[in-house]
Amino acid sequence: MASSGEAVPRTYGGPAGWISVAIPAALFAYFLQFVPVIAAGTPVVVGFDWVASLDIRLSVLIDGLSLTFALLISGIGTLVTLYSTKYLGEHPEYPRFVLYLMMFMIGMLGLVLADNLIALFVFWEITTISSYLLIGFTSDEAKSRRSALQALLVTGTGGLALLAGMILLGNVAGSFELSVILAQGDMIREHPLYLPILILFLAGAFTKSAQFPFHFWLPNAMAAPTPVSAYLHSATMVKAGVYLMARVNPALGETDVWFWTLIIAGGFTTVFASILAIRQTDIKQVLAYTTLMALGALTLFIGVGTADAIKAMMIFLVVHSLYKAALFLMIGIVDHETGTREAEVLRGLGRKMPLTFLGGAIAAISMAGIPPLFGFIGKEFLYKAGLELDTAMIWVTGTIFAASVLMFAAAGISVLRPFTGPLADTPRPAHEGPWAMWICPLILGVFSLGFGLFPDTAEAWLIAPGTWAVYGDYGYEVDIYLFREVNAAFVLSLVTFAAGAVVYAFHRPLRDWLGRVFEANPIKFDPGWDRVLDGLKALAGWQTRLLQSGVLQKYIFVIFLTFAVGVGATIYLKDALQISVDLRAEYDALSFKVWAVLIFITAGALLTAYTQSRMAAVAALGVVGIGVALIFIMFSAPDVAITQLLVETLVVVLVAVAMLKLPHLGLTKDRGRRPLHAALALTVGTLTTLVLFAVLQSDLDRRLTDYFEIASWPEAFGRNIVNVILVDFRALDTFGEIAVVVIAALAAYALLRGTQYGPPRDEIEGEERR
Amino acid sequence: MTAADLAIILPEIVLALFAMGAMLAAVYTSKDAMAAALTYGTATVFLIMAFYIAVTGDGTRVGFGGMFIDDAFARFAKVAILLSAAAVLVIGVEAMEKSDLLRFEYPVLITLSVIGMMMMVSAGDLIALYMGLELQSLALYVIASLRRDSVRSTEAGLKYFILGALSSGLLLYGASLVYGYTGTTLFSGIIETAAGGEMALGLLFGLVFVMAGLAFKVSAAPFHMWTPDVYEGAPTPITALLATAPKVAAMALFARVVHDAFGGAVGDWQQIVAVLAVASMFLGAIAAIGQTDIKRLMAYSSISHMGFALIGLAAGTAQGVEAMLIYMAIYVTMNIGTFAFIMTMEKDRRHVTEISALSSFASREPAKALAILVLMFSLAGVPPLVGFFGKYAVLLAAVDAGMVWLAIAGVIASVIGAYYYLRIVYLMYFGDDREGLDGQMGTAAYIGLVGCAALMLLGVINLFGLEAPAAAAAEVLLR
Repeated sequence: MASSGEAVPRTYGGPAGWISVAIPAALFAYFLQFVPVIAAGTPVVVGFDWVASLDIRLSVLIDGLSLTFALLISGIGTLVTLYSTKYLGEHPEYPRFVLYLMMFMIGMLGLVLADNLIALFVFWEITTISSYLLIGFTSDEAKSRRSALQALLVTGTGGLALLAGMILLGNVAGSFELSVILAQGDMIREHPLYLPILILFLAGAFTKSAQFPFHFWLPNAMAAPTPVSAYLHSATMVKAGVYLMARVNPALGETDVWFWTLIIAGGFTTVFASILAIRQTDIKQVLAYTTLMALGALTLFIGVGTADAIKAMMIFLVVHSLYKAALFLMIGIVDHETGTREAEVLRGLGRKMPLTFLGGAIAAISMAGIPPLFGFIGKEFLYKAGLELDTAMIWVTGTIFAASVLMFAAAGISVLRPFTGPLADTPRPAHEGPWAMWICPLILGVFSLGFGLFPDTAEAWLIAPGTWAVYGDYGYEVDIYLFREVNAAFVLSLVTFAAGAVVYAFHRPLRDWLGRVFEANPIKFDPGWDRVLDGLKALAGWQTRLLQSGVLQKYIFVIFLTFAVGVGATIYLKDALQISVDLRAEYDALSFKVWAVLIFITAGALLTAYTQSRMAAVAALGVVGIGVALIFIMFSAPDVAITQLLVETLVVVLVAVAMLKLPHLGLTKDRGRRPLHAALALTVGTLTTLVLFAVLQSDLDRRLTDYFEIASWPEAFGRNIVNVILVDFRALDTFGEIAVVVIAALAAYALLRGTQYGPPRDEIEGEERR
Repeated sequence: MTAADLAIILPEIVLALFAMGAMLAAVYTSKDAMAAALTYGTATVFLIMAFYIAVTGDGTRVGFGGMFIDDAFARFAKVAILLSAAAVLVIGVEAMEKSDLLRFEYPVLITLSVIGMMMMVSAGDLIALYMGLELQSLALYVIASLRRDSVRSTEAGLKYFILGALSSGLLLYGASLVYGYTGTTLFSGIIETAAGGEMALGLLFGLVFVMAGLAFKVSAAPFHMWTPDVYEGAPTPITALLATAPKVAAMALFARVVHDAFGGAVGDWQQIVAVLAVASMFLGAIAAIGQTDIKRLMAYSSISHMGFALIGLAAGTAQGVEAMLIYMAIYVTMNIGTFAFIMTMEKDRRHVTEISALSSFASREPAKALAILVLMFSLAGVPPLVGFFGKYAVLLAAVDAGMVWLAIAGVIASVIGAYYYLRIVYLMYFGDDREGLDGQMGTAAYIGLVGCAALMLLGVINLFGLEAPAAAAAEVLLR
């Protein structure tokens, strides 16, 4: 399979073409070296620190599972890139395509080889992004753009859930290295965070591997060019979720939650997808749904988790990648050479495209599970693992049986029907594709047939080490064979063929009937997805209108509301409402002059709120300030009072002068909100008062007062502490304050003088420019 | 006031003298004609000061009786502030010139604001804090309304001022309560009182008020309302400034106050910071979706990013502060790159900020589009770009501090947030509209855009060794 890159002529896309073939081919050859080491049962771990302070290491773990994946990724990658030199070589943006494809391959290899969870996540997201770019490659079609975004958002969301799960798992296990984590399965399963970790991991795996109810993005993703579908959305990327579940099986598996979640989601996806597959008329869509079915079956068997089930899962993983990639490539050739993929249109292509037919046929026979192909072994071991379970779990076998029957029919629909019978008219006259294209399904076919005839090789190279890695037991003896005896599984296979043949014979009426049933079904995932996105936009719009109206009044309202809620909550939580002050006595102690000032202040505040003239409002606010200054005087703080008076006067004068220059504004029309504002104002006022009461309960820090009481006479020869502080202890500060007041007065003078002569020249020019 | 004190604030003094000198020189000579030269000069002085602080700074020095602290934490923030302000100044010259806004006051005001920011991150005292904060804010209020003939710009400045004054009021009220209950305005004194068991109620209220004021300065929800309006109304280079240096300063000040002054009562402020973080992340992420103006979008983006940085603070650990500093450094770099592009968005010789103008930009300007793609993915926190490591660091800090729910909220918010960054990429690459931006980009802006994008890619290797100074800074804050 490691065909050398130099064999591809330069005309097929130039250097981008052959380099893109040479890279995966070289990687494939490289990974082949590891086969003997891994087959001996010794995983390889190497690595170096990447971002040390964040515990991110770039470390590699090669065991049976990751090696199987790495070989599939680089091997099928070689064929897909070779195929693309012809399929897309004429495309003006072919180099960009190759770049994305290489980016994906690196990401995918990194994903399966990474030993560090965070590194795994980084690569996981690289595959998501490159998948996005590849699905949207034909970006002039609205459909591909939408599908690309949908795939990105679904798998990206799952990916972030996975990150959260990984951080939790890393925390629980005390390490982010998979090789360390996998050894602590029992501790992790006992941990209280086990369930959140599991849910987050499965959210990542299910979205990536398109398990129900996240399945809807995968058939849409078939908008991608066919080599991409074959590579990403069938053979490799969508199996990343399966890889992840298999990888963490020793740490997270073998619990009831794991068992039931996986077999229910997997089982349902299996049956649901194989029924939907029969419903399609576009052969590529048929293949897309059978891919979903295969992913469901893989999930199901990881969930079952017995040694035999894991072995069956590993076999089926390899089987499926080999035949499904071949079938996608085959339909790509048909589409490329005839211009259509419709099952109803295509007939009798076998005579015009014999080599494509041969490649497709081998794959289809493997998919149908007919001996002596590898697909037969895959199906036999699925049955065998299913039948070994409790009788109560017979539905697992039933699920696989139903799926296999439909798979048999799907194989017929996608190959038998288009290639046999009388030749039908197609948009372009049918003819054989170039060698670089038809050879790819054939090479995959050779492996399907070879592994079928020599199962011991497959066992020793891939299946046994993979099973050990997933099952976590290197002592388990893996044994696979083509045929040994007539047993229940074999009989079931024969029944499968018969039932499959019947379904194929009647698949057209069945399809019409299924179409009507699904039309009537009100639950649709794809439109549902659109509604979620629309809902998000509507939510954004709603909250913007509410909070970001551009009206300053509302902003201030929100700030005070937050203030009220925050202070209220603190008072409530800290139970601060224990007022021990004798309010009655305090009330009686208020003298007449205090009452007068209080009324003065309240009237000023009310006038500010109710007046319709700006000048009156400013003046009224000044009244409030002067009232406060009077209170300071009554409580013998003349210095503070004077400062307050000065500032208050200065501000009122300045604001009044500024307002004289401003145009007159009409009345505010919207007065409906005033009661609301009044209520908030009252609440804030009350709360502030409560805070003051609460605060006055506890003792103020008296260190400073004590110090000045003692020090004022001996050090400054004064008895009035305030005076002493002002002119002695803090004389320099007082000097600074006076300077500030002088500067402010100077500035005010400059402003006032300016008003006499009108605005400065600059301003007028500014006005004109507008 | 001794020579030792003056030596500690040498960079601030140099900048203040420079600001005053520049002001006088410009007023008495050629006024606006020398604005461009003055701007470049200011950027140069910033760079020299950043270099000086980074190279000569060593250990912890305390001046003015504890009011001013020069430690690794302050130096990290100051270098970030100076470098980002210098970058924004240089990148913005062309855009300011085009819109006829390059006045000589512009670099002077920015210098004053930067001095305020440097005061903030070095503050060891509530009064010093307030002084720095107001110096920074007052200069920014004026700069935000620099375009006096535009209603939007003046409205932005006025809103910024009024809400800012309100928040300063809250902060001052809080500071007076704190003073009343601890008898000191020094952080080192407050922490002694606050550390011993249950905090006095007045002190707690003081803390709440101070934090409300600080939340306004970092534009954390629900004190964020000024951000979109001001970002949109202010001239774009000024928006770029608002989005970068002041955010670093305010976030560093926040960390300084909660750790230096209230470090003994982590439990009392941790929940408040966490609530601010969650509210900001979600509000920023959701509100940005509906935006059609890229400056408003970046405003919400910054609100959301502040939420993430606050996660690091909410962790209440040295690891959290380190993560927050790394996050802020990365955030600032991404924003400089993005704004370098936004400043130069032009259509028919007119500055535009509609997102729709980006449609099919990639087919005309593949290199720039690629740089923006990198920046957007990094802002969204998509690995392996540097933005991811920032998010990862704060989330990890939250989990390690036992705040798993906060980390999970952060992950969900970043999913929602990713949507609008991707929408920009989507428009650029897959947009239908063939009419779009046609302006030319100046060299400085181009270098800013492509350089920052390249940093997002190259930083993947080791984050440019950012972790070591950030770790040292965090350690000194939690000593």
